[in-house]
Amino acid sequence: MSQEQVYTVASDSDTAEDERSSAPFPEIAIGVDIGTSQCSLAVWNGSQVELIRNTRNQKLMKSYVTFRDESPVGGVTNQLSHEYEMLSGASVFNMKRLIGRIDTDPVVSQASKTLPFLIQTLGIGVKPFIAALVNNMWRSTTPEEVFAIYLVELKSLAQLRLKRPVRNIVLTVPAAFSRFQLTRITRACAMAGLHVLRLMPEPAAVALLYAQQQQQQNQQSLSDSGSEKIALIFNMGAGYTDVAIIATAGGVSQMKGLAGTTIGGEDLLQNTMHYLLPDMDNFFASRGVHEIKSMGVLRVATQDAIHKLSSQSKVQIDVDLGNGINISKIIDLEEFEEVNKDVFQKCGSLITRCLNDSKVKIEHIDDVILVGGCTNIPKVKNTVMSICKKTEIYSGINPLEAAVRGAALEGALAGGVTDPMGNLDLLTIQVNSHSIGIRADKDSFVPIIPRNTTMPARREVVFTTAHDHQREALIVVYEGDEEAVEKNHMLGYFKVVGIPLASRGVPEINVCMDIDASNMLRVMAAVVMPGGENPVVPPVEVRMPTADDGHGLCADVLNRSFGATMDLVTLRNKAA
Amino acid sequence: MCCSHGFISKIPTTPPPLVSRRTHFAIPSTIRLPIATGSARSFRTKSAATAVKDGGSSVSESTVMEDLSFYELLGIPETVTSVEIKQAYKQLARKYHPDVSPPGRAEEYTQRFIRVQEAYETLSDPSRRAMYDRDMAMGIHFAFSSRNHSRNDENMVKSEWRGQWQSQLSGLRRRSMHKESGKNSSWAARMRKQREECSS
Repeated sequence: MSQEQVYTVASDSDTAEDERSSAPFPEIAIGVDIGTSQCSLAVWNGSQVELIRNTRNQKLMKSYVTFRDESPVGGVTNQLSHEYEMLSGASVFNMKRLIGRIDTDPVVSQASKTLPFLIQTLGIGVKPFIAALVNNMWRSTTPEEVFAIYLVELKSLAQLRLKRPVRNIVLTVPAAFSRFQLTRITRACAMAGLHVLRLMPEPAAVALLYAQQQQQQNQQSLSDSGSEKIALIFNMGAGYTDVAIIATAGGVSQMKGLAGTTIGGEDLLQNTMHYLLPDMDNFFASRGVHEIKSMGVLRVATQDAIHKLSSQSKVQIDVDLGNGINISKIIDLEEFEEVNKDVFQKCGSLITRCLNDSKVKIEHIDDVILVGGCTNIPKVKNTVMSICKKTEIYSGINPLEAAVRGAALEGALAGGVTDPMGNLDLLTIQVNSHSIGIRADKDSFVPIIPRNTTMPARREVVFTTAHDHQREALIVVYEGDEEAVEKNHMLGYFKVVGIPLASRGVPEINVCMDIDASNMLRVMAAVVMPGGENPVVPPVEVRMPTADDGHGLCADVLNRSFGATMDLVTLRNKAA
Repeated sequence: MCCSHGFISKIPTTPPPLVSRRTHFAIPSTIRLPIATGSARSFRTKSAATAVKDGGSSVSESTVMEDLSFYELLGIPETVTSVEIKQAYKQLARKYHPDVSPPGRAEEYTQRFIRVQEAYETLSDPSRRAMYDRDMAMGIHFAFSSRNHSRNDENMVKSEWRGQWQSQLSGLRRRSMHKESGKNSSWAARMRKQREECSS
């Protein structure tokens, strides 16, 4: 079958679509949204998206894995007798916050002080040591392993419900995830025997769902589907917050801006716990069985209080932490908002940044879409709405299901499914959420593909040598948006050798990067001499990221070993 | 889908016809220009219509694409409004985004989409569009022929990226020799650079 057949697609769109539906396609991928606190599954059932419920009829399942003597169990199948059970030290949760982070990351060190299981940090730029309490002994695990165990449960649930083998998934991820975190997630899926068809930023999934709704509305009202609507998506869950600006018309959602950060309900919880028990870090430091228990008690009480503060103006907290320590306090909404001022401020500045990046004016926003559990918090809602100068929230979307529904739509699209009703004539055109560039001009980060570039993308910048007779150049690739290079995330490095003897500033080192449709990043570098036509040595092509967990250390070692001897400067700067 | 706006179908090259002389022209001929994609060659003076006519016998579709102006690439006349540009872009995206590509052709669609994107980004920004129009009116074009490259590319193996890139580099090289004149580097790349310089 043929090549032939594939190639004879006519230029006409209708036949191209027929071609797509008749070609042998893989199974329909299921949509998976593993949140920091909750998880859900959905699939395109042939005419619409359907959420898959577990055996306890839940659509939203808690994200945790409990380690025991026998095999571990996760929140998909396990029934908690009480929330304290999840906080006994035997369960590992918040893995989405922890995956792919090193022990110098503030997110990790915060977590190590407030979570009941063990997160040991040495603060040297390596993977933290994570362990669960099994039979009164700390047994080590990794966020990837916890993810994989959880995914195995999800996989068997999906297979049970769909009565077929499930291999392909579309997984939603926060916009803030680094490429390194994405590789860790992909690895966890592989460990669970799942193939990731797409890792989709959560707002992109929501955008797809929104595009479908707009399309359906237009069909019903027979209005002009060409008219474009601008929407702002604000997604705040337990672990991460994303903002996206999308322009939607005719089933196509084009992302204008995407921004994400690691703040969420977990930060509100940790801040409030610290407020209730200022000496908390010392109090829980020894991590004995008693401390773990009190930590659990405090956590549950704080969580309840925060939930209540979404609908009432004050809440009474009474907890007995044992050893004569009692907390009895009334917290009102104002106090709560003051304690978490920073978090709300960060939400606001993320929105502002995204608006600026996307060059969309506030008055052009048609819809504000709120997604994620934290958007129920009055202060969060008000922050978003007041920046957007809107009074009404877009109502067509369930904030807790939007991402997984979008992922299921993408699962159907990626599987080549078409819908006679036109419900799958959809597309999201995505942008990358972090700039990707290299270290050059001393210790600066020089972006090659700037953030918010439409993907797939390909960009190139020409550099030159920093020293006379420099024969080698070190290309160190970073992802991030900080000017100081070391504050960004190192993705990998390689050396360009064979630069001909020349004065500094003469040889040209072309560094080209591309990101393909599946978000694969490729970095290429070649040396060309003025007047020459071809690269003087074979160019280098590297798929990134290549750096592993110790990338922080690695950058230090590179710096110590080579200093500035293999530095590059941008050619533009040279000319200036 | 709303894929039948009149102005789209009028232009014979839109959608750019898919490769039908399949054995002869390997997919990657569209991937020839990873750097400053596609945009550059749009300045060639040869009209799209002529190119298509040649195309019937010996010119690959991808070469045609490279010869197209941004307007031709989007299948719109030069007089269109920004709303129409957006509509045309979204329709082409709907067709050529790699997410909707038939199996095995994601790479080809990726190249195509990147070109469409470049055209859209230029034409949808009024000041960049004005500059592009001015440059086009002045007939700025490349000093070297992309055709030569495409001929060499015919016997290139599908996934031979490196080889392609090398040949592009030599093209680049030639362009950068004329950097001072500012006329021979990719138009979009130059614009990007100018903007960077302004903002830095």
